[in-house]
Parts: sequence; structure tokens; C-alpha cells
Amino acid sequence: MNRFEYINPKNLKEASRLLDENRGDAILYSGGTDALDLLKNEVVKADKLINLKAVRGLNRIEYRPGYGLSIGACALVADIAEHPAVAEKYTILAEAAEVVASPQLRNMGTVGGNICQRPRCWYFRGDFHCLRKGGELCYAVDGENRLHCIIGGGPCYIVHPSDIAVALTALDARLTVYAHGKSRDIPIGEFFVLPEEDELHENILKPGEIITRIYVPDISPGTRSGYSKFRERAVWDFAVVSVGTVQHGDGRVSAAFGGVAPVPWTDYELNEGLSDKETRAHAIQNAFRDAEPMEKNGYKVSLVRTLLERQLNRLNG
Amino acid sequence: MSARKIAKSKFFFEEDMVESIGEVSDSRREAWDNDAELKVVGKPVPRTDGYDKVSGSAVYTVDKTLPNMAYARTLRSPHPHAKISRIETGKARALPGVLGIISSEDGPDVPWYHGLSRLFDRQVRYAGDEVACVAAETEQIANEALALIDVTYETLPSVVDAGKALKPGAPQLYETGNVMRGKPFQYERGDIEKGFADADVIIAETFTTQVAVHNPLEVHCSLVNWDGDQLLVYDSTQAIYRVRDAIADSLGIPESHIRVIKKYMGGGFGSKLTLGKYTVMAALLAKEIGRPVKIVLDRHEMNLAVGNRPDSVQKLKIGVKKDGVLTALSHESYGAAGAYTSDAGCSWPLRSMYQCDNVKVEEYTVYINAGPGRPMRAPGHVQGTFALDSAMDEAAGKIDMDPLEFRLKNYAEIDQTTDQPYTSKYLREAYMKGAEAIGWKERWRKPGTSAGNLKKGLGMASQIWWGGGAPPAYATLKLNRDGSLRVISGTQDIGTGTYTILAQVASEVLDIPIGKISVILGDTGTCPYAPASGGSMTAPSVTPAVRDAAEQMKAKLISGASAILEVDETALVYSNGVVSLANDPKTSIGIDKILRKMRERVLVTTGARNRNPEGYSINSFGAQFAEVEVDVGTGMVTVLKVVAAHDIGRTLNRQTMENQFHGGIIQGLSFALMEQRLMDSYTGKVLTTNLHDYKLPTVMDAPEIEVIIVSEGDPMISDVGAKGIGEPAIIPTAAAIANAIYNAIGVRIRSLPMTPDKIIRALNA
Repeated sequence: MNRFEYINPKNLKEASRLLDENRGDAILYSGGTDALDLLKNEVVKADKLINLKAVRGLNRIEYRPGYGLSIGACALVADIAEHPAVAEKYTILAEAAEVVASPQLRNMGTVGGNICQRPRCWYFRGDFHCLRKGGELCYAVDGENRLHCIIGGGPCYIVHPSDIAVALTALDARLTVYAHGKSRDIPIGEFFVLPEEDELHENILKPGEIITRIYVPDISPGTRSGYSKFRERAVWDFAVVSVGTVQHGDGRVSAAFGGVAPVPWTDYELNEGLSDKETRAHAIQNAFRDAEPMEKNGYKVSLVRTLLERQLNRLNG
Repeated sequence: MSARKIAKSKFFFEEDMVESIGEVSDSRREAWDNDAELKVVGKPVPRTDGYDKVSGSAVYTVDKTLPNMAYARTLRSPHPHAKISRIETGKARALPGVLGIISSEDGPDVPWYHGLSRLFDRQVRYAGDEVACVAAETEQIANEALALIDVTYETLPSVVDAGKALKPGAPQLYETGNVMRGKPFQYERGDIEKGFADADVIIAETFTTQVAVHNPLEVHCSLVNWDGDQLLVYDSTQAIYRVRDAIADSLGIPESHIRVIKKYMGGGFGSKLTLGKYTVMAALLAKEIGRPVKIVLDRHEMNLAVGNRPDSVQKLKIGVKKDGVLTALSHESYGAAGAYTSDAGCSWPLRSMYQCDNVKVEEYTVYINAGPGRPMRAPGHVQGTFALDSAMDEAAGKIDMDPLEFRLKNYAEIDQTTDQPYTSKYLREAYMKGAEAIGWKERWRKPGTSAGNLKKGLGMASQIWWGGGAPPAYATLKLNRDGSLRVISGTQDIGTGTYTILAQVASEVLDIPIGKISVILGDTGTCPYAPASGGSMTAPSVTPAVRDAAEQMKAKLISGASAILEVDETALVYSNGVVSLANDPKTSIGIDKILRKMRERVLVTTGARNRNPEGYSINSFGAQFAEVEVDVGTGMVTVLKVVAAHDIGRTLNRQTMENQFHGGIIQGLSFALMEQRLMDSYTGKVLTTNLHDYKLPTVMDAPEIEVIIVSEGDPMISDVGAKGIGEPAIIPTAAAIANAIYNAIGVRIRSLPMTPDKIIRALNA
């Protein structure tokens, strides 16, 4: 791990300015569960750590009927999982937060950090100068790709590791992005980018931009939702495949998937098929029909269909 | 004093037959009566080091510090195979805080890996091979200095797969070729051709197992310091005497100048049975800079450079008659040694487990450009048992026989590898009791007949191992006037409970409460010799030495009392710290008075392990039964329960014994379902270098475990009668789980680990 300066900004403006002024040399630090790992393993190098926790007021979780849910970017993953309104109204989000990592990590990690965490690909995290680190090759293509993506890949084949981002995608959340005194709201679906667009970054954040808040619209009466995560050991693991579904009061279904694509994956056509009970079974059987599995990850196609079917059965059972 | 002599003993250490000549106790003492209940031995005495460990006050080697110590870090080759043409350390040396750097260009030339290589070789043979070592004021500076060392490599073709390394034209690691010793290991008994000709049914299948890495919780580490020409070494090791002698050989200094200490250890599983390069590098740097040097490997290095369980590709062929009699067993296999000497053989279970007259074995250990293997908890046996007991299951299925009945049908009454009887074998009892506990008779169903998405299944497998212990092993006892006792032995407690069981044995003989006994282990400067803590050797080797020393102590007290009271020794008895007249208990004298009269502040005795009986094989046996639930939608396997029924001789401590089984079974489950070292074949680098990618189970993955002991003390082994259990615990677990999976889903998985993707693929095939 290289030496770095640990800076406590007074406010968002200073945090944003420091990030922008030190492009490439500064990273945002909040829970540190991923940032420190990246530094220690020399996946990223940074001379400055900008501690976002020094900025007050970024950890509130608030629910107002008729308005929806507002989550500060520095709210702890554990706080989401345990928040009564989240558990009651946004089961999918509570269930996703509950299965993140381990209790220790959930008590350190923040929601904003969880959404922005870097991929777990062993080539990216390991001693390989791969595409995502500015190299010329995605080693997973001809390598060990059992855990890589089955859709949306190329030229890099990571999967997005966040559970919470999958839940937020199914919930049509909006993110508030702050930079230089201004905030803008963007739909979560426009936040993440595929490698074909940008192989170095997982999202659209530019230097100096900081997620400050996540907004989730209020849910309609009768909405049911849930999150299922398949992992290779019982706890403390990333998803091999995960499925989050929201079945709105009017029957409309919105599903999002983790572990299958370089971004939290959602498919409007699939959602339409799932929304109609007549076509649901067919839609499930044909989900990820256009997946392009690699040599060792083809099992994910049947796995994701199984999880989707079970999830919907659970919501309607 | 106890009778002693020098005698020859034969025993197995981690799959190798060892012949040793050493001093043995020849006291021919009666073994403890199996019908009598002992006061302390066998009881669930809590670990004497439990408080230290739970409270955090236990100082492990990794916690150890010395004033003014420097920190060392190792530069490792990024290439799987290369020649080093130049090492430029100028920039690194100029970094403030850097104290010393050694490499093949700077420092003594020390032979390594039995002369195959050097401490710093100019030819590196795996990504992770040691290139240089830096000492600095802090670990951070040492790491920064590593990045400043400029090494010029001429890369060479590499191969990281044993199968590919065997093919003609494969990159060669050595001029003598990639096959270790230049030829396969071969074994044959009976007439294999005739055996197969006599068979009604022949099963021929290939089984594969992965490379597993020990990954003990405490990483490998040493702290060394020179005091003049005396070298003090704190090392996280399973073998203090081996480390001492190997350092002496490496540095060319007298063994008497080296003191190796290991107190508490966070696991080793075999990876800490040899001297590590890091220890010698630290000693060289400490000498150069005149300061203590601490060297601690990180998890990344742990997954590259300190050993592994070699993989295996095992072609098994089983001939069986319709009535269930085995007629032939053949085993052809290869496995990767890694870049340096190791052993990938895994046919011992096939040679010894079941009765079979016609057996043939041919196994190749292959050099590849990867970290070298080391013994790992029951080396060979874990891989071999997975294949053998899976194939046995298949054979039972083919002749439509219950798998348990099939094993009973082929029960080996004697050791067929030596034609000797066993000192004891209670495997039949283990089968019966284990089957009863899991409900085998009522619950075992035809494979694949479980309904629904969650399919349940039962499976079982057998275990054979050595672990009878052997001489030489010594223990010294020091008895003080206040009746407190110190037990000193050059063995090491690697987390298994040795401190506790040695205190129990002394307590049993001398009636001294555990609270008044302190045990000192793991110090070559103060402790008499005891063997390395591997091969399930520790308890069966060292406990008889403690008993011998304690019995001598008792005799000494009686002798002292006899001189003081002026009565014949035979008229005296010892009990609870007091020597008294047998026929007049009122005439008595306590330890305090005896020692005051004798003007000795401390009474000292040293006991030795007896020799092993000639003409007998000493083995431990067991059977494990697993119940699993397989989700056929996801391929997830949940192990619900494991029943472990074992023949372990005498149980020394019910609690630490169960701990050992829990640890072994969970590690076995992990080998069966999760763990695997993955390498990128293109770059020759290990991909799984952290504990996220190299998956170990959590407590949530652990099944319910029931341990049943079917044996009692084996008086032919020693007057304590214990067999070692560290390794037996893990041996049959993977095979039992594999058979349970087959029983659940009706599809056989012949490749470990049985991850969900393999199960889905097999179900969809």
C-alpha cells in the first residue's frame, strides 16, 4: 500500500474540489471496506483519501408516505437492513442489505460505497494489468471465467458486485450526484455503464462527483418485493447470481439481476413478460435467452431462471 | 530409574515409512486398565490455554516483538519460469529506512529443496519464487523497497498443469524432465490380470481432485535475533527441532547455537513442518544489520509459496464379483508436485483399506511451474479416499448391493501391505455404530429417489491412517516443594490441545491437580527432543513419555520417603502428594517434606516413549456418514449432518478430541465443496490469493457433527494406548459427502470441489 494523506473535508464542496483537483490521485473514502482493500492490494493508487464521513448529514434514512425513501450516501449498510420502514415497505432493499458481506463489514460499509464498489474479478483484483486497469487484455476471456458475466460483456467481462444496486435498480431509484455546489438527480439505470462504453469505470461519475443521496419512490399499496442471492457459501460472499423483484400493486413486475452482467441488469421486455400472468412462465423460461456465456459460466443461465421463478413464486405464494 | 535402551523402530510419518534408531523406555509397565475409569485422562478437561486464547492474552509468533526490531519482506518472481540475468538494488538501498537487501547477487549461496535449487536461485520456477529479501525500519518501507528493486528476467516457457507437463514437448523444469525421480511409483501384489478376469463387473472411472492450500489462520512468520553467535528464532512451526537443524545446515553454524521457540500457533496443517526460506532470510538479514528481524508473510504469499495439497487425476479400476467380493484394484494417477520436490501419490488407501488380493498402482508426481506441495492434513489419503470410496460406491451400485454391506464384505482383517496383523482394529464397530447413528438402515434409499427440488441423500466412506506414534520422544518433569509440577517436552502444541493432554497424563499418575501443572513446549533451548507435530504423531508419541517420567517421579518420591522414614520402598505407597506406609497410612510424608529433607528444590525426571511392537501394524480406522441436501435448481449442496465413528485407541480428552474431529470434518467438507487453488494457465499466476477467492467455510456452512468413539486404549501401542486423530478426522469426509450427493441426485460427481456449477452441469448433461 502506498503512503497517502487522509483528508477530512469541511463540507461537500471541499470534498468535491479536492477530488477534482487531484484527479487520479485522490479517492473517496467512507466505510473503507473496499477503498482500503483496493489500496492494500495495489489495484488503485491514491495519494489522498478524502473522508466523506467528515461531511455531516449524509447518513440519514428517511421515509415519508406519499414521497418515498431517502437514504444518505453514508448511511451504513447495516442501518438499511435494520430500518423499520425499509423492512416494511422495501423488503427487497432490506433483504439485499441483510445479505451483504458479514456483520462487521455491514457495520462499516456505506450505501454509497456499496453502489460504487469496484468489481471482484480475480484478474482485476490480482496481479494482472487487465483492460479495466488500462491494460490491453481481458484475461477472463480465455481464462478462469466461472464467475464472470453472461450478458452485457465485452471487451471486459466483470460482474457488478453490489447487492444493494440490484435492489435499487428494481425499485427504479434515483441518485443525487453532487459536484461543485450543484446537485443533479439521475435514474439508477443511467448511472452504471457497460464496458463497451467505458472499460475503465463502472459508472458515470466524473472526478469531483459524489453520490450524496439515494431516492426511492414510494411504493403503491399491495407491492411485494424480495431479493434472493445465490452464493457458494452460506454467508460472507458475493453473489454468483442474484435476483431482486418488485411486484407492484398493479401487478407490474420489475426484476433486476446481479452476478450476470457488468452492471445491475434489467430487461424491459422481460419485465413486461413477467408482469402478465399469462406470459410469466414463458418469460422466465426465456429469460437471458440472448446471454452469451463463456466457457465456464453457462450454468448461470439456468441458475438465474431458477432464482427468478422461485422469487416470483415466493412473492405470490 | 526406568530401564532404557537404544532400539530400532519403524513407523509411518505422513505416508513415508521411517526407520529410526532411538532411545526407548523399556519399563514394560502395565497399560491403564480399560475397564477402570481414569481420574483425569479421557475427561473433557477444558484447555489449559483456553483463557489465554479467548482473552487475547496468548502471544503467538505473529504477535511477538523485540526491541529495535526491523521488518523484512520478500521480492517474489512475477513469472512462472525465468532466468534472472540481473538484480539492481541501488534505488531500493537508497530509500530512507532500508537497512539491508539480500539476493542471489548479495548474500551466501544456500542450497534449498534438497539441492534442487538455492535460497535465491538464478532460475525461478514459479510465480512466487523468492528473488530477494529486504530489511527495513518498517514493513511499509520494506514493501516500498521491493518495488524499487529492478530485476531483469529472461522468461522461459512454462507449464502449470500436470497433464500438460507430462506431454512430449512440454516446457521442462529440469534437465531430467518433469517426472519426479524420472519414473512413476509402482506397487503390485497378486495377479492384477487374473483379478480382472475373475471379476463379474468392472468399474473404470477417472476422479480428479484440486490443489488445496493450507491457509492456516496464523500466517507463516519468524522473528530472529542474534546475541553474539547465538541465534534466537521465534517461528510459527510444527517442528522446532527440524527448523533448528535445518537452520544449522543452511547457515553452517552449530545446532547448539540456535534456539527455536514456538509457543502458541494458529494452525499449520502440515505447511509448517519444514524450515521456511523466510526464516533463513531473516537470520541472514539480522546478522547483516545487527538487529532483530521479523518477517511475516501476507495472505497473498500464503497462497503462493508455503505449500499445498497436490492435485490428482486418478484412474481407478475395480473388479468385483456379483456376491460383492473384490477381485482387483488398480490405480493410475498423476499429480503436481509444483516446482520442487513434493509427493503427489495418493494410492495408500487403495493399497490398504479393503481386502483385495490383486492390486496394481502406478503414480506419477509431476513438476510444474507452481508453488511446491507440502504434506497437508493426511496427505494423499484425502484425495485417494475420495476416489477409492466413490468408486467403491459405484461398484456397490453396479452389483446392487448396499454400500455399507459391500464394505463389510471386503473388510481387511490384516494389513495386506505388510501381511502383518493390526495391534487393534475396530472398524467393524465403527461401521455399525455410525450406521446406527445416521439411521442408515431405515433411511438409505436407492440413489436419485428423493423427490422435490431439495433432494436428500446419505453416503459413507471409510478411513485408514497410521498415527500410532513412535520413539524417540521425551518429556522432563520438574516437581517443586509446593507440589506444583512442570512438564517440559520438545513437542509443539499446534492448536490441538497438546498442552492440556500432557498435563492430564501427569496429573493422572501423580494426583496433582491440573491447576498446579504448567507445561512448557516448543523450545529447543530447554525441552528434550520430541517429534514434529505432524502425521498424527504427537499424542501417541509424547503422552507415554510423560507417563514414563511421571511414574519415575512417583518412584523417586517413594524412594526419597523410604530413605527419610527408613522403611523399605516396597512398604510405601504414593497417593495425592503423600507417601505413606501401605499398612499404616498414618505414617506418611508429603512432597514438601521429602524435598526439604532431600535438600532438592526441584525433583527432575525424564521419561521416554516405548518402542513399537514388532510384527504388527499400527493404524487408526473410522467411518464417516454424511447426510446432504442438494438443491437441484441451484446445485447447492448443504451438508446436514456428519456422523464420525472412529477407532482412535484411548480417548485422552473428550473435548479436545471432539474439537479435532469438528475441525477435520469442516476442513474435509471445505475440500469437498469449496476450496480450490485456481491458476491462470496463460500467465502461470495464482488467481485465488485472498480468502474471498480461496473459499473457506464459515460456521454457517458447518454441519451437525456427531463423534462416536468405538475404541479403548490399545495396550500394544503404549501404556497410554492412544492413536493420533488429527488426520483421521478429515480423511473420509469428502468421499462420504460425494457418495451422499450421488445418493441424493442419482448423478455421480467425480471431480472436486463439487461446486454448484458442476452439479448443475452434471444434472443437465
